[in-house]
Amino acid sequence: MSGGYKQQPGGGGNITRKDGKRVAGKQSFPPPGSGGSRPQMAKRDLQFIPETVGGREKQPAGAHVHDRIRTGTTVGKSMKLVDSNAKVTGQAWYGDDVRLPNECIAKILRSPHHYAKVISIDTSKVEALPGVLAVATGQDSLNSFGVLPVTKDEHAMAVDKVRHVGDLVACVAAVDEATALHALSLFEVEYEELEPVFDPKKGLEDADEPIHWRGKYHLGKTNVQKRVFQEFGDRSLIDKPSASNHNKWTMKGVHHGFTEPHAVVAHWDPNGRLQLYTPSQVPHYTHRALSTVLSVPMHQINVIRTFVGGGFGGKSDPFPHEMCAALLSRKCGRPVRITFDREEVYMINRGRHPSHIEVKMSADKEARITGFDIDALIDGGGFASFGHVTSYYNGVLATAPYELGSFHYTGARVWTNKPASGAMRGHGAVNTRCAVEVGLDQMAEDLSVDPIDLRLANLLPPHSRTISGFRITSNGMREALERVREGSDWDNKFRQLPLGKGIGIGCGFFISGSGLPIHWDPNKFPHATVHIQVDMDGGVTVHSGAAEIGQGSTTAIAQVVAEVLALPIEMIHVRSHESDTSPVDLGSYSSRVTFMNANAAIRAAIEIRDKLLNAAWEMIGYHPDLLVLNDRRIYYKHDPSIGVSYLKALHKAQEDKGALISSGAYRSPPMGGIHKGAAAGLAPAYSFSAYVAETDVDIETGKIKCTNVWAAHDCGRALNPLAVKGQIIGSCHMGLGQVISEEMVYGRTGHLQNANLLEYKIPSVHEMPNVVPIIVESCDPEGPFGAKEAGEGPLLPILPAVVNSVYDAIGIRINDLPLTPDTVYFAIEKKMKAQSVDDPLELESPRLTHSAMQQVVVERAAQHKVRDIARQRSDDTSAYVNGVLFGFDPNIPLEDQVEGWRSATEPLPEQLAELGFAGKAWLKKEQRELEGDN
Amino acid sequence: MLMPPFTLHHPSNVEQACEIAKQLLEDGQQFDWVAGGTDLIPNYKWHINTKPHVISLAKIEGTNVISATEIGCMARLSDLTIANGAHPLIAEAASKVASSLIRKNATMGGNLCLDTRCFWYNQGEDWRRSIDWCHKADCGSGADCRVIPNQNTLCVATYQGDLAPNLMVLEAVVHIVGPSGQRQVSIGDFYQLDGKKKNVLEAGEFLLKVTLPKQSQQRIGCYQKLRVRDSWDFPEAGVAASWIAGDEKSLLIASTALESIPKMHDEQVSEALAAGWNGADSVKSLSVAIQKSINPVNNTTLTPRYRKKMVRVLAKRAIEGFLQ
Repeated sequence: MSGGYKQQPGGGGNITRKDGKRVAGKQSFPPPGSGGSRPQMAKRDLQFIPETVGGREKQPAGAHVHDRIRTGTTVGKSMKLVDSNAKVTGQAWYGDDVRLPNECIAKILRSPHHYAKVISIDTSKVEALPGVLAVATGQDSLNSFGVLPVTKDEHAMAVDKVRHVGDLVACVAAVDEATALHALSLFEVEYEELEPVFDPKKGLEDADEPIHWRGKYHLGKTNVQKRVFQEFGDRSLIDKPSASNHNKWTMKGVHHGFTEPHAVVAHWDPNGRLQLYTPSQVPHYTHRALSTVLSVPMHQINVIRTFVGGGFGGKSDPFPHEMCAALLSRKCGRPVRITFDREEVYMINRGRHPSHIEVKMSADKEARITGFDIDALIDGGGFASFGHVTSYYNGVLATAPYELGSFHYTGARVWTNKPASGAMRGHGAVNTRCAVEVGLDQMAEDLSVDPIDLRLANLLPPHSRTISGFRITSNGMREALERVREGSDWDNKFRQLPLGKGIGIGCGFFISGSGLPIHWDPNKFPHATVHIQVDMDGGVTVHSGAAEIGQGSTTAIAQVVAEVLALPIEMIHVRSHESDTSPVDLGSYSSRVTFMNANAAIRAAIEIRDKLLNAAWEMIGYHPDLLVLNDRRIYYKHDPSIGVSYLKALHKAQEDKGALISSGAYRSPPMGGIHKGAAAGLAPAYSFSAYVAETDVDIETGKIKCTNVWAAHDCGRALNPLAVKGQIIGSCHMGLGQVISEEMVYGRTGHLQNANLLEYKIPSVHEMPNVVPIIVESCDPEGPFGAKEAGEGPLLPILPAVVNSVYDAIGIRINDLPLTPDTVYFAIEKKMKAQSVDDPLELESPRLTHSAMQQVVVERAAQHKVRDIARQRSDDTSAYVNGVLFGFDPNIPLEDQVEGWRSATEPLPEQLAELGFAGKAWLKKEQRELEGDN
Repeated sequence: MLMPPFTLHHPSNVEQACEIAKQLLEDGQQFDWVAGGTDLIPNYKWHINTKPHVISLAKIEGTNVISATEIGCMARLSDLTIANGAHPLIAEAASKVASSLIRKNATMGGNLCLDTRCFWYNQGEDWRRSIDWCHKADCGSGADCRVIPNQNTLCVATYQGDLAPNLMVLEAVVHIVGPSGQRQVSIGDFYQLDGKKKNVLEAGEFLLKVTLPKQSQQRIGCYQKLRVRDSWDFPEAGVAASWIAGDEKSLLIASTALESIPKMHDEQVSEALAAGWNGADSVKSLSVAIQKSINPVNNTTLTPRYRKKMVRVLAKRAIEGFLQ
């Protein structure tokens, strides 16, 4: 092993065991380019180099702009996550693993009341307790904060009112946990109880004391936080439908159920700067909020993201306990640690909104979808959180993947006296998607056509514009449907299985990164920035603010840099923990990280690559266009013996300036409509998915067991197929929880009854179906090497697929989630009564005989398939406009073609009477209008 | 969550255990017994009815015996699940308790003496304070029952142990020991209708072992458990049945997780037999009769209405489990 060196000193001698396996930490690590145990450069891996640039990787979706920088090093190869060793050996440091010298422990005093004014807080007995180091109340910081700049309605602790049981009232830091807990019992708080609101429908009514007050923008005296109205298309199309349905859904709130409870350590260092350790998905928002709450400039705060033990959206908000830790630490001059109990995790919540969703849909005589009418009333709990966005997402993310004749959406989010709802995997899209996909299943039943064919005949093609103006680029929806159909043997099972066994289909559509960075103008500051630094040793340090939350973002960034520079991934070191060293980044939400950060990383890596190639040009005399990067070497493409090692080229490039530094950024292209709320749901790319689920229903008990899932997800390009499959399987588990067992149960007193992991029923391994992940690669033109998101979209289809499979099994449709055994049983009992059957085993399964319409949809689907393949491969990426299926000319504005064409964000007066639950929010006037009335 | 402080006693034989208990009683000190701790410790962490002293049975010799006729209080549920002499019905029931991790620690004695459960009671201290406590853990407030308000005489918390009904249909006898000596009661008489009192154990007494009559080995049985997930969850309803093959007169049925105590259904069985046993139809009417005889309340995960309905299905399946 001459010339090589080891990762760990010592040992020497043998570096392989007798069984030939390598010894951890003792791997040989040859100098780049030559020598060591691999004296010769590895062969180029042509299987992973695209055909268009001379490799053998098939490109059914055509060439990609990043093809020329592919080196066959990492992209498309299944590999373990770069931080997995730390996790499996227990060395990853999560929030509660941070231990600073002289730290103290803080506990939070929480409200015992649902809704009350805080009249006074007497802390004298607390302060007198030996061992207490600092006490803080809401009066210690009156500055409000919130994850969205438009709805800053939170404080570190209650300033005037508590808004739910568990809301923060005060906090205390002490020498140990027992003292801190004892101290909590010594606070004397005087409350004046107020009338709480639990039912979101009640939240639409005027209240004596609305939970928050928005001044002149407040809607009457209601508890409505946000209302949305959107209407697009030709409403006359929904007249005289050949099939239609109208379903009212109730979806319970669900929680992320991440393993790691919230934990924070705050420490004001000797220079008076705040060092805050927190397992946050979005450290930058925490950074901003800390600055606001503490009245300290951002550059005097360093937010250190610890390893994150699962987030799923639940660690995206800046949290009041982070403010508490910082306030207490500032007061007592010692590091302060707060770790939540599981109960406290549920108290801070931010899970999926409990929702009342109504979906009406209709199809015409050619089985075209003439309209989606959606009404979503969502229960926001005590604070706004991401709710402003959720209010939009519940509607607008249903505008694809189908071509619609019209779209009508009313949404409202109301404050109630419960822990705040927020963003959770599949943010805002999940519940409506379930309702829509189940509606489509029902519509296929009414039309007597196959539900997969119905979908295939109504898809938007690649490069299209949805009815609300979203720009769809790559689109693998059709392939996903075709592959699950084939994989599941759908055509031999659907409506043919015996009673109690069912199969169902569901689709999904989700954003791959939010098009609008909510804190700044995307034209003035990029979405994501990545810095790369390469020093003499050849190691590549990548600085990124992307928050690794277990989804593999660090690995994705390391992979793309390794790919561009043709280096082993072990040579790429991603630094993303500290705001001091990381470029500003929006963090891990809206499925943006792979798309935006990897794109930024590619740009930064290309800059380094160009410098290396130019150095090699100087050394060997061949122009960079004629040079190949491969495994730590740069050489002339027609004669690999003429070349230079990576390290030599690097040193040449560094001659005059030392370490190579580069910076890359990503910003989304201008896109979208101009109507109010047009930015909500806008994304530079969208993911598509289709799942088929097989389910057994115990007809006598109503207990359902999902047995098999074929899960196809279009992630554009799987940078790391292993990670994508993990996301698909994990999404199935999480989504399945919402379908079969998970719910936040609020009892008759309004208390959350199951704030623990025994009673909050996350499916166990026994409930988990056999999942067959199917990766669809539509190769997104703007994605990094064609990639799109795979973290959230895969959750959406499992819900409707299971619900539809239950129908296939026993012929009942249930519009309440979760489908707990009692819910299913009573639905079966109802059907038995309706059919006058005594024994449920005598019920009949639904069966299907195709109508003449089946031929219509099959033929149209076949035509559209030809259209879609042509569009995918065409260089012309001008958009197919939603509406062409209904005979519209895409070159003439739609409103000029159809008199009834509407594009509106406020209801017409005559519409007010017929709006759904959420729509009733439009019956109220804002305070400023009311003042005008007076 | 921080464990409240308590003094842990580790007697190494029954006499010592009784002596410690006697001493604490004389000193007016409150205490709990602990076996595997999988029930008591989570409750302590939630500050539910904590005591300053806890006497562990873990080191008492001879309490982990497992045989066809005797099971010691410290017999681990995971040991009961493997074929080592315990009745197959007990092995089946033990394998359905909680999760494999918990079964490693949980014991037969602990499962029989399981604290009754209620979602107004199995909550953190702050939570219970915010509902002004409940009858079962009133913290000196004299609080009302939250399940059935306006009555604070009876606790209706639900007994959710899996082993009890199975031991009942095997006619087990419970051996109790305490400062005043040993006594035996049939397992049917062990439980006492009140979610607070739970069973006949007097202050200072603990459950030493259960014994099974020899003829129990001739019995074949079946246990049906209703739960949302096939791991972790307590039963939402459970029915055990056994008979000596071919002899319907030997039929025994017991249910659990429906009321504050597990229950034998001798009366319903006798009625079914009196009406003349004719197989499937008898099973059906007997299942309905058992369903009618129980009255679950709303304090567990699934609704009482549903749990009551399911008793019929579970009873039917339990009997059919060995009839076929």
